[in-house]
Parts: sequence; C-alpha cells; structure tokens
Amino acid sequence: MKLVRWLLLLMILLLTGCWNRVELNDIAIISATGIDWKDGKWILSYQVVIPRAISSQTGESGTAAVNVFSTSGDNFRFAISKASEELSRRLYFSHNQIVIIGQEAARRGIGPLMEVYLRNHDSRETVSVFLSRSDARGIMEQLIPLEQIPGAAIQRLIVNEEIGSSAFRHMAVHDALMELLGSSKATAIPGLIIAGPGEGTESVGDLGKTTTATKVRLKDLGLIQGDKLVGWVSDEQSKGVMWLSDHVERSTVSFTCADNRKGKPTSSVRILDTSTKLKPIPANGKWIVKADVEASGVLMEYNCSGDPSKPQEVEKIEKRIEEEIKGIMTDGWEAVRKHKADVLGFGALIHKRYPKQWREASANWEELFPQTEVEITVKMRLSSTGMSNQNFKEAQKKAES
Amino acid sequence: MTKTSQTSNQSALTPLSRSLQVNAHAIHTRFGGSSDLVIRLFRSDAAPERQLALIYIAGIVDADVINDSVLAPLMSMKLPSYMEETENLLIESLRACVVSVGSVKEVSTLEEALQYMADGMCLILADGSPLALLAEAGGGKDRSVDVTQTQTVIRGPQRGFVEDIGTNISIIRRIIRSPNLHVQTHKIGSQTHSNVAVLYLHGVADESVVKEMYRRLAAIDIDGVLESGYIEEFIQDESFTLFPTLMNTERPDTVAAALLEGRVAVMVDGTPIALMAPITFFSFFQSPEDFYQRFDISSFVRVIRYAAYIVSMLLPSLYIAVTTFHQEMLPTTLLISLAAQREGVPFPGLVEALLMETTFEVLREAGLRMPRAIGPAISIVGALVLGQSAVQAGIVSAGMVIIVSFTAISNFVMPEFNMAATSRIIRFGIMLMAGMLGFFGIFISLLFVLVHLASLRSFGVPYMSPIAPTAKGSGLWRDAFIRIPWWAIVMRPMDLKLRNPRRQRSARKPPAQRH
Repeated sequence: MKLVRWLLLLMILLLTGCWNRVELNDIAIISATGIDWKDGKWILSYQVVIPRAISSQTGESGTAAVNVFSTSGDNFRFAISKASEELSRRLYFSHNQIVIIGQEAARRGIGPLMEVYLRNHDSRETVSVFLSRSDARGIMEQLIPLEQIPGAAIQRLIVNEEIGSSAFRHMAVHDALMELLGSSKATAIPGLIIAGPGEGTESVGDLGKTTTATKVRLKDLGLIQGDKLVGWVSDEQSKGVMWLSDHVERSTVSFTCADNRKGKPTSSVRILDTSTKLKPIPANGKWIVKADVEASGVLMEYNCSGDPSKPQEVEKIEKRIEEEIKGIMTDGWEAVRKHKADVLGFGALIHKRYPKQWREASANWEELFPQTEVEITVKMRLSSTGMSNQNFKEAQKKAES
Repeated sequence: MTKTSQTSNQSALTPLSRSLQVNAHAIHTRFGGSSDLVIRLFRSDAAPERQLALIYIAGIVDADVINDSVLAPLMSMKLPSYMEETENLLIESLRACVVSVGSVKEVSTLEEALQYMADGMCLILADGSPLALLAEAGGGKDRSVDVTQTQTVIRGPQRGFVEDIGTNISIIRRIIRSPNLHVQTHKIGSQTHSNVAVLYLHGVADESVVKEMYRRLAAIDIDGVLESGYIEEFIQDESFTLFPTLMNTERPDTVAAALLEGRVAVMVDGTPIALMAPITFFSFFQSPEDFYQRFDISSFVRVIRYAAYIVSMLLPSLYIAVTTFHQEMLPTTLLISLAAQREGVPFPGLVEALLMETTFEVLREAGLRMPRAIGPAISIVGALVLGQSAVQAGIVSAGMVIIVSFTAISNFVMPEFNMAATSRIIRFGIMLMAGMLGFFGIFISLLFVLVHLASLRSFGVPYMSPIAPTAKGSGLWRDAFIRIPWWAIVMRPMDLKLRNPRRQRSARKPPAQRH
C-alpha cells in the first residue's frame, strides 16, 4: 500500500511531461519590437538576437548580431502567431527592450498595443516605448556603434539621456499606461529618427569605419491624446515639458550675458538638482497652475564679463539662469497648449486636489486645458562657480594691464 | 574449532581441569592449534615438583612485560612453605606475591580463560590447580598517535585517534582530567569481542541519553564489529534517511568538546573514528577550528559553509530551472551569452547536467580509490579531456562545466563528509524535479527535505533544533549560524536537556586594564 502511494506520487510528478519547458536554443530572443500601420494592416517587426554572433567564444565577425523581420495581420497577436511561418524558433518577448511605434501606427492609435501589454504576462511593462518619425522597422534595422544589440543600445540611449540632459524622459509601457489610464488621458513619448545623409547603417561593414553615415537619435517628443498621436514638439520644447512635469533630473542650461535672454547664450550651467511643484488654482471656471521650480547647479562655462566670485555677480547670474529656465518652460507649455494634449498631468493634479470641480471640468477638459494659465517662478541657486574666478579673456586683459 | 564449541561459549562453561596437561591441550585445541599460541612449560625453584605453564598469544602481548614481570618472577620465586600446601593456594600466592603486573584475574572456566587470552592477557596454569591466573600483558605493534588525516585544521591540536581503544580513551582522559569523565566498556561481536566504550561527563550529560545508549548497544547482536560505522547503523534513530544522526570524528578535541557540551561519545576498538550523539543538523556545519579561531573569522566561515551547502545542493537545479523554464529571470546579456553557448549542444539542459554531474562523481570516486601514483593522470583526464574537450566538442556548454565545478568545490567546504554526501545525493533528485517542473519542482523537493529533516531525532533530540523547535530565551541558538565569543557562551546547547546546562557562571570577560 505504501509502495502504491509512493508510485502514485512519482507518477503525478513524472506524468506532467515537462510542462512548459523550453531550451535556450529553441527560443528567438527579441530585443526590439516595431509597430507600423500599412495598407490597413498592422505590421509587426521583430529584432531577433543571434546569440552566436555575439558570444566572444564563437563570435563570427562579419555577421550582424540581430536579424529583423516582419509579419502582418489585422491584430497584434495574430500577426505574432504568423511568425512561426518564417522563423525556426519560438518568439521570446520577455527580454524585449524597446517597442517602437511608427508615426502612422501612432496616429491610428496605440490602444491595441496597450491591450496586448495589459493582457499578456510575457509582454513586460518595463519595456521602453518610442515613437518613430519614419516607419519603425527602418529604425530597428540600424546598427549602432559600441553596442551589439541595437534594441539594447536604444534603451541605454534613453536612460543616458534621462539622467544626463533630461530633454526626454524614459517612458516604459507601464508609465504610458498609467498616464493614459489616468485623469489626463494623455502622454508624451520620445521620438526616434535616423539622422544623417546616408542610406542607413545596416551592415556590419559600415561599423568598420570611424564614422557612420547615419545614426539613430532621439528627436522630438510625440504627444498622445486618448490613444492617438496628435503632434510633435521639438527637443527644446520637450525640455520645457519635462521641467514642467518635474521629470528633469540633471541638465545643462545655457544662458546669456544680459538680462531677459538677450544676446547669445554663451555660458552654461549644469543643473544638478531641480524640482517643480505644481499647484492648480480654480479661477472663474478656468484654471491657473502655479509652477514653483527650485534648482541648483554649478557654473560650467562663463563667457561674460564680471567676476563670479562676487556674491552680487552670482545673484545676477542666478537671475539670468532663472529667466532662461522660465523661458524654456514657457516655450514647452505653449507648444503643449497648441496641441491641446495634457501631457503635463494637470488634469490628474486637479482631480487629486479638487475632486468636485474636476467632475465638471473633466467633461470638457480638452477645451479647458488650453485656456489654463501657467505661472512659473524659478528659484535658482548656484552652488559653485567652478575652479576659476574670472572668465579667461578677462583674466588675460588683467594680465596685460 | 567446531561449531558446537563456538556456541558453547555462551551456554555451557567448561571448568578447568586439575591437570595442566589437559588444560593446555584443551586450550591448544580450542585455538585450533594456531601457530601464534605460545605454551611455555616450566618449573619454579619454589615449587619444583609442580609444573607451571605460561600461555599467551604472541603478537598481542608485550614481550617485555611477559619476560620481566611475569616469567622472570615466576621462575625465581621464593614462596613461604605454607603457601604450597593446597593447589589453589599456589595460584593465590602467585597473584599476591609473584606476578608484578597491575591487572590480574583468576578464572575457573576454560571459556573465560580463552576470552581473556584473546584480549591480550597471559594465562598462568599450575598443575593440580583448577584455577588459572591471568595477567594483563596487552601490547604488541600498533600505529602510534599521529596527525589527523581526514579533518585537518590550521589552528588547533593536530593529533588524531589511533586504532587502539585504550590509547584513544587515554587521550581523552588526558584532555578532560576529571573523575566525572565516566567510561563504560561493552563487548560487542560474538566473534570479534570488540571493546565498545561509552564516554560521558557525569553530572552534565543527560542520564536518560546515556541509559538509552546502553540499551541500544546491549541490543546489538552481530558476529563482528570492525568499525564504528557498524555501531552507528545499529544505534541511529532512523535508518532510512540521508542525514546522519550521529556525528563521527577522528579528532580527540572534537570528542572532548562534545563531551563538555553534554553529549555522549562511543568509541570502538580497531578504528580511530569515534561517534557522538545526540547531534543536530547544525552541528555538522561546525568545524573544530571554529572554536579555536577568532569568533569573527569563524562566524564568517560558518556563514560561507551554509551558503556552500545550499549551492552544492541546488546550483545545478537552479541552472536547469532558469535556463529551461524561467529564462525571463536572467539579465539579458547573460541570457544571450548562455544561449550562445547552448547553440549546437545536442542535449536538453537536464540531460547535460546529469551527464556532467555523473561524470564528476565518477571522477571523484576514481580519485579517491586509485593508487596515489596515478593521481596526476586522473587530474589530466578529468580537467582537460572531460572539461575542456567536452565543451569544444559541443557535447556540453561551457556554462554547465562552470556550474558543475563550482557545485563540486562547494561540496568540499563541508567539514563533515557524511553531511556533505547528503547534498550530493539530494542534488540528483532535485535536478530531476527542476528539469520537470522548474522552480516549482525545486520548491517541492525542498519542502520534502525540510519536512523530513524536521521529523528526524537523534537520541530523542529534534534534529533541527534549535531552529525547530525554536529555542526560547537562550542566546546560544545563535551558535548554529555564527560563533559568538567564548566568554558569551554561558550555556551548553539547550536542546540536549542537560543536567547541568551552565558552562560559565556568567558572561564575563576579564576587563582589560588600561594604563
């Protein structure tokens, strides 16, 4: 009897088969996914990693580390299922790094994409999402110097940008989902373009040169309202948007030698710490949003006259930087206002602070939003002016006399 | 020797005859005319009319003792005349006045005489006397006390036990110089009559454990005991378990430490390996050196040991589970690197792992059994042919070789061989489960192991104590995972239910005087 019991137990374990076992050489690891809309169908492109080309041991030089191919269908999952018609291995999405949405697809609506991410467990919401000015597949075909897998390279690009200059923000699918499902129903996703005059960097041979004819780079911020792309704002405006929505971590701001942003911005300051506090105030059915910015940074480059070691001079410089930041933010706000897309999250803010008023405002928020007034105050603190006092030219003059 | 005479040992006892001739002949016959049996017939000056005989087994007696302390006094003895009068009085007087040996015995049966002779005593017979005198003359060639081979330490005593139980007990006596160290010797083995000694600290050890030990030892009925392993299998609480419920050691200091903690030690004649009980799971992670090195070093090493044990049990299974079920858990770069290695490997991950693990176990056993001279050959075959070439030939992936190697190395960290072996065996089971069910399988297996561990007892003491059941209030349970400083080890292990659980009156370190 005991034996029978043990046998039964053993059978329970053995007869399960191997459940969902899959060997490493039976999967096609996808590093980037692209979504395009063409001729009434979704085109899904996959950037498949070829491990053999990457491994240092068996690395075959001359072969690209990835292979890009596409399938099409009326919906996403059906298109993906068609991949088995042309691929010897199972598509493996868990290590997907980025998803690029082509401009046409984004104008059509990213709702179906979000649906796929919400419903399936193998599509991770931590994947970075991008928009593309051209078709997504074109960007996925580009090789990128330094990195072997272009998908991972673009992912690192946005992370580097976010902590380095903060003109764009790293948008994970999760972030986009939160914003689109929030009160504002709008989000902003960074755009990618292939810059440069060449035909594209698609072969490993192109990487053999010291310069590549084309590069994949971040350009413009795509504004999504509802689930559709409604417009683009430029890099500079994008920085203003980031600053307004408190997504700037570190950045560099160039400023002029005169007050009120007059003249050429010849000097620059590195912003090391900044925070933006938004406060909505109801005003006659409209809204005023007060934005209080506190920033601190160090002087990196100073091509103006005056001695920045003197407190009065520092105050002047700080004031100019404040004006500059305010200008950047105002530009960003104007651009967003034009497109009527509340990517700044004002709606969510009002919803949180004035739930009752929001109930009325939410009905026609799209009209109300552009009428909102933004009042920006910036408090800049220069924590260091660097290792020298006067500007180099000034010092030279002083030496002459 | 006939079969009947063997069994007659226990049942019918043959009294000694009055005739020396008859007795000597009987002894000669009972030993089957063995060539190492020495029967020395002689006459003494004191009683020239009576023949005397000295009978012993050469090789297990000390020739010097025989010659100087037994034979010489016997031959040159001068006895008061009244002592020769009766037959038995002669033997009495020999014992009283002549034989200058510490331990002597008088016996009246042949079987007793034979038994003591086999133990290394010499027999003195006098013609006309139905009594025989036995004098302790044990000796003979044996290995001298030497450096331990199996459990080496950097800091700490280096000597190990030898095969002779008398020497071994004397070593312990020299470490614990206390009358509280009680030694009880039993004879086990109907043929070998091996001495099995039970050692414990009176007043410290749990008397019920000592009694239980006697009871279990007394119940053993076997023809011979060659090693303490025989005894271990008889007296352990649970036979069908991979986990040892008795600890064994070759080191006298380990036995002494166990005795001081209130455990009971068992020594068996003929082996340098002593047994200790009751023991808990966590004791197997303590090396004797832990208690000699600084406590911080020891604590660090002890944590490493637990980690290594877990690694040696789980690493191949985790690798299998992650690479065949949960690829999403790996960092992308590592996944791609592993995937590249697996390109062209013909077997599934589980088969690959089993293949390499089996290969390693074979190599290990070969390394242990082969003559020392061909050792380097094994290393070359193992490292180069099976490791490197197997990867180059595409039979296994490089990652798997690393996993198997690290698993093997981790296993050597364990201070106790028999505990290290448990993880080696369990590893295969968990690997199969991991290959079938992934992490789920690993956790099912671990649950089984844990439940089993919790069910074990060592002489009534829960195997997983002091964790399960959790010891309350005593700071000592921390000794399971780290080693607290000596001055803080106030109590003996609480799980042993000792008569005297206190080692020190209070946790007090002599304060340092600063000048």
